[in-house]
Amino acid sequence: MKKLLAATLFAAGIYAAAGSAQAAECGDVSIAEMNWASAGVAAYVDKIILESGYGCTVTVVTGDTMPTFASMNEKGQPDIAPEFWVNAVRTALDQAIAEGRLIQAAPLLSDGGVEGWWIPKFIADEHPDIKTVEDALKHPELFPAPEDPSKGAVTNCPSGWNCQVSTANLYKALGAKDKGFELVDTGSAAGLDGSIANAFENKKGWLGYYWAPTAILGKYEMVKLSFGVDHDKANWDACTAVPDCPDPKVNAYPVSDVYTVVTKGFAEKAGVAMDYVKTRKWDNATVGKVLAWMEENQGTNEDGAKHFLETYPEMWTTWVAPEVAEKVKAAL
Amino acid sequence: MASTLCNYLPELLCKFPAIDQTLMRGVRKTVDDSFKSFVRAYGNVIDALTTPLQHFLNGLESLFVNTPWFIILAVMVLVVYFASRNMRIVAVTVIGMLFIGLVGLWEDTMITLAIVTVSTLLAIVIGIPIGILMARSDRAQSVVNPILDVMQTLPSFVYLIPVVMIFGIGKVPGVIAVVIYAVPPMIRLTNLGIRLVDREVLEAADAFGSSPGQKLMNVQIPLALPTVMAGINQTIMMSLAMVVVASMIGVGGLGKNVLQAISNQFLTIGFLNGFALVAIAIIFDRTSQAYGKRLQRHTEVVHG
Repeated sequence: MKKLLAATLFAAGIYAAAGSAQAAECGDVSIAEMNWASAGVAAYVDKIILESGYGCTVTVVTGDTMPTFASMNEKGQPDIAPEFWVNAVRTALDQAIAEGRLIQAAPLLSDGGVEGWWIPKFIADEHPDIKTVEDALKHPELFPAPEDPSKGAVTNCPSGWNCQVSTANLYKALGAKDKGFELVDTGSAAGLDGSIANAFENKKGWLGYYWAPTAILGKYEMVKLSFGVDHDKANWDACTAVPDCPDPKVNAYPVSDVYTVVTKGFAEKAGVAMDYVKTRKWDNATVGKVLAWMEENQGTNEDGAKHFLETYPEMWTTWVAPEVAEKVKAAL
Repeated sequence: MASTLCNYLPELLCKFPAIDQTLMRGVRKTVDDSFKSFVRAYGNVIDALTTPLQHFLNGLESLFVNTPWFIILAVMVLVVYFASRNMRIVAVTVIGMLFIGLVGLWEDTMITLAIVTVSTLLAIVIGIPIGILMARSDRAQSVVNPILDVMQTLPSFVYLIPVVMIFGIGKVPGVIAVVIYAVPPMIRLTNLGIRLVDREVLEAADAFGSSPGQKLMNVQIPLALPTVMAGINQTIMMSLAMVVVASMIGVGGLGKNVLQAISNQFLTIGFLNGFALVAIAIIFDRTSQAYGKRLQRHTEVVHG
């Protein structure tokens, strides 16, 4: 009887030890797959590396900047947002970091995110005089509005995104309305992309907000216009980024900080992978190439991630320990 | 359990033999490219065709938005009263519209009303003839029914993208997307209503020597009207539901606010706009139902 009891206890001890060892390795991890291409690829790169390199069980959940942030902040789910444009929620994120709910890891895009007003390259080539936003606003006839071709259009960013506010304020600051332009709401990322695709397929002009790195910019050549001024951070934070600011001034977009954000829960259960999410970053040129390849080959985000891992080992092997890199390579 | 089973079976039986990736990619590319070249080739033609609709939509929207609110409200009250002859529904209309105005959504509601009005009218104009055609021919019915099934189950996001590629963004593609979504019940219920007309009534009409055209106009359609009204009612409801989704391609109004509220977690704004849509829906629904009921008076006559 005693022996049996001892054996049972021993077995239970072994069991518990084994259990804790497994927990130290990695657990169930959920990654937010944001609804734009570069973030989608990043999510799958993380998925492949965490699964094959660190032995995590990864689920990918669809997300979008604001809802994902709210969910991570309130519920601690999903665990990782690989490509998070932090400017949109700076204050709330700082608070969450201070209170230890969220952790800001690596700056995923080493160049940061580039935002601005763009025009198609074919328009820029035809009209070399258009160098700045002011120049473009002299020609409403080149950028016909979708609903009223007699007016020009400044195409706004999707509803509810932060850039919707800044674009509207810049539109006001530039006096674009009196220059015969209207501000066109696109509603969603799909609407914005569609309006660009529609303009290019019909060889029509297009002027509006867009950002890099993106598949659209890999696919359709666009030129970013200068605002003719430098970025004034104080005024940007006090007015340009504030809804209904009474007298906005012309300002240039800041280079956006793009970080990986993880929850405290992730740091606890997947400690082994923390070094990875704290070191990995890539540059816009590489992302642009991967996205262009995806466009070219009609690849999904997962295909894009595999393509990246197969094509740029010299980049990603520096993010992980050699033995982890071997595991990932074996899995490919 | 199932996974261990796979260790003893040939791979073909465990993993579905999917078509080769490269071939699938080729197919996807070909379809996409041919669609794009279609857009390139016919872009101007399509623009020219949709211009009248665009002007009509712009005109109606500015009419709704720029008319003083009390006139719009008076017209709505008159329409509701003459359609329903029911003071309770009129009271609901007034209260609902006042609520919308008080929370500052009047203008957005007018934009949404303009889109829904045009979409519903289009759906009726397209739906009723197709419904009649289906009712008169079994072959037509067997062709159209599967198409309607696809229209009702295909996720709306799937056709939003090509619609944007072809028509750009704004009200026209929005209306087209809404009509695709809202027309099936109109067609189905028109077809059903005509098919359900009593055989004996038709025999009587035959006995009096009616031509097929007379039978349709003077017997079948009047008797099918209550069902057709139910179809119109459903179409209005589905248009209202789709208006929110259509805001994803640049349609303004209440849907845009809902979308913005969703992406920013503005609970109150989302609910206010949602309730404004509900208020319009209730007004439309009760009015069209009451009208449909009044058309059915003849069925309530008790023969002594």
